[in-house]
Amino acid sequence: MDRKIEDILDECLDRTFAGETIEDCLDAYPGEASELALLLEASCVVMRGCAAIQPAPAFKARTWHYLEAIFRDRFEGVRSAGVVPIWRRAWTMAMAGVLLVLFSCVAVVAASTNALPDEFLYPAKLAAEQVRMTLALSDLGEAKLHLEFAERRAYEMGEVAQQGKADRLLVLAGQVAEHLGEVCVAEEMKEVAEEASAALAPAPSLSAGTERSDEGTEVEELGTLLSQSREESLEALEDALARAPEALKPILRRTIESVAKDYDRTISIIESGSNQ
Amino acid sequence: MPVEKDIVSRAIKGDAEAFAELYEKYFGKIYRFIYLRTGNQTEAEDIAQEVFAKALEAIGSYRWRDIPFASWLFRIAHNQVVDHFRKQGKVERVELEDNVVAADEPSPALVAERRFELEELRANISKLSPAQREVITLRFGAELSIAEVAEALRKNTGTVKALQYNGIVALRKLMMGDSQRWTER
Repeated sequence: MDRKIEDILDECLDRTFAGETIEDCLDAYPGEASELALLLEASCVVMRGCAAIQPAPAFKARTWHYLEAIFRDRFEGVRSAGVVPIWRRAWTMAMAGVLLVLFSCVAVVAASTNALPDEFLYPAKLAAEQVRMTLALSDLGEAKLHLEFAERRAYEMGEVAQQGKADRLLVLAGQVAEHLGEVCVAEEMKEVAEEASAALAPAPSLSAGTERSDEGTEVEELGTLLSQSREESLEALEDALARAPEALKPILRRTIESVAKDYDRTISIIESGSNQ
Repeated sequence: MPVEKDIVSRAIKGDAEAFAELYEKYFGKIYRFIYLRTGNQTEAEDIAQEVFAKALEAIGSYRWRDIPFASWLFRIAHNQVVDHFRKQGKVERVELEDNVVAADEPSPALVAERRFELEELRANISKLSPAQREVITLRFGAELSIAEVAEALRKNTGTVKALQYNGIVALRKLMMGDSQRWTER
């Protein structure tokens, strides 16, 4: 029985996708070769056009940071919340405290505050941030620190843009997105812990209403801080845009848009959390 | 596809490395599929991100025996695109933004030429019937097999093959109208 042209075309497309030439297919189906040749040539034009569409590498990296944060929160974060013993957290905090004292004793930390990527003191600045993060006493405190560091990275983006360093600009934009993603993670982790403790609680206490109102205030506070941080970061970046080298302006413009989007997304996640 | 089945199983159990492998394999395809439908880089980026966030939310409920993973993922992408157009209250657009990326920094003339070809392709795809457009973008943009396209669109393979054939015939006619590259039989 003769095969339908739809089936033959589909088989030939699979073979072309796999790397065979159009001629290989035409040889296999000489009776349909003339019609098949035209259809496969048209298909090749479509294939070539589609292959040229690629996501921007910076966007792909940023999205991965965003998803990784959600993934960590969903799997690793929840898993570790109930497993890490209190003594280990206390030990980590004590060690981090010692480290902080050491760092504080050296004027390096202060001197590194305004350090920029590629500068000698920049690693010290990042290390000091790590220590501050380890010492954060609450999820809200952690969220606030992430917000502060996101703002710092945005400021640094403006500075590296002046220096014409497009690659650094994209890396920093990814880090802004990462810190903003962590703001959500910190808030979501808090909700998970609260849900768990609510499930274990024997009966609602008289103070439950007050606690809920405190949580609402915290979320509101975070929302306000996020809006302020958005304004300041974008102001710094717009200012940098005005002074940036012409060649770097298009990429900086796109990066500003993506930072604004990252902030908006974070604000909407935090706001949707507060409305629940 | 036993290898992918294993990767998906590990991702469901919370293996970040497995999820990263799936992200690497499908992100470009998902983006390309959405971009062919919207013709707008910013919208395609937003929707692609939403698709993966939704996939991550729902991956725990995914069962291999019901549907291949690629079809499941592109079903989410398809629904997101449909939702996007419904929310915007608009039909699929024709114009394309500059999104032709090349690893080896080609000349501006080459970029312009590629962009022109891509605009032409996207414009022609947008003139297909909705069903043909879905099949062509999934088959060529996402590089799914006919069986995977059929699962993603909840259609049988015979119908999808017919839509693919008619879509390519229509595209060829449209291409002939665009230029003199094609000769009549």
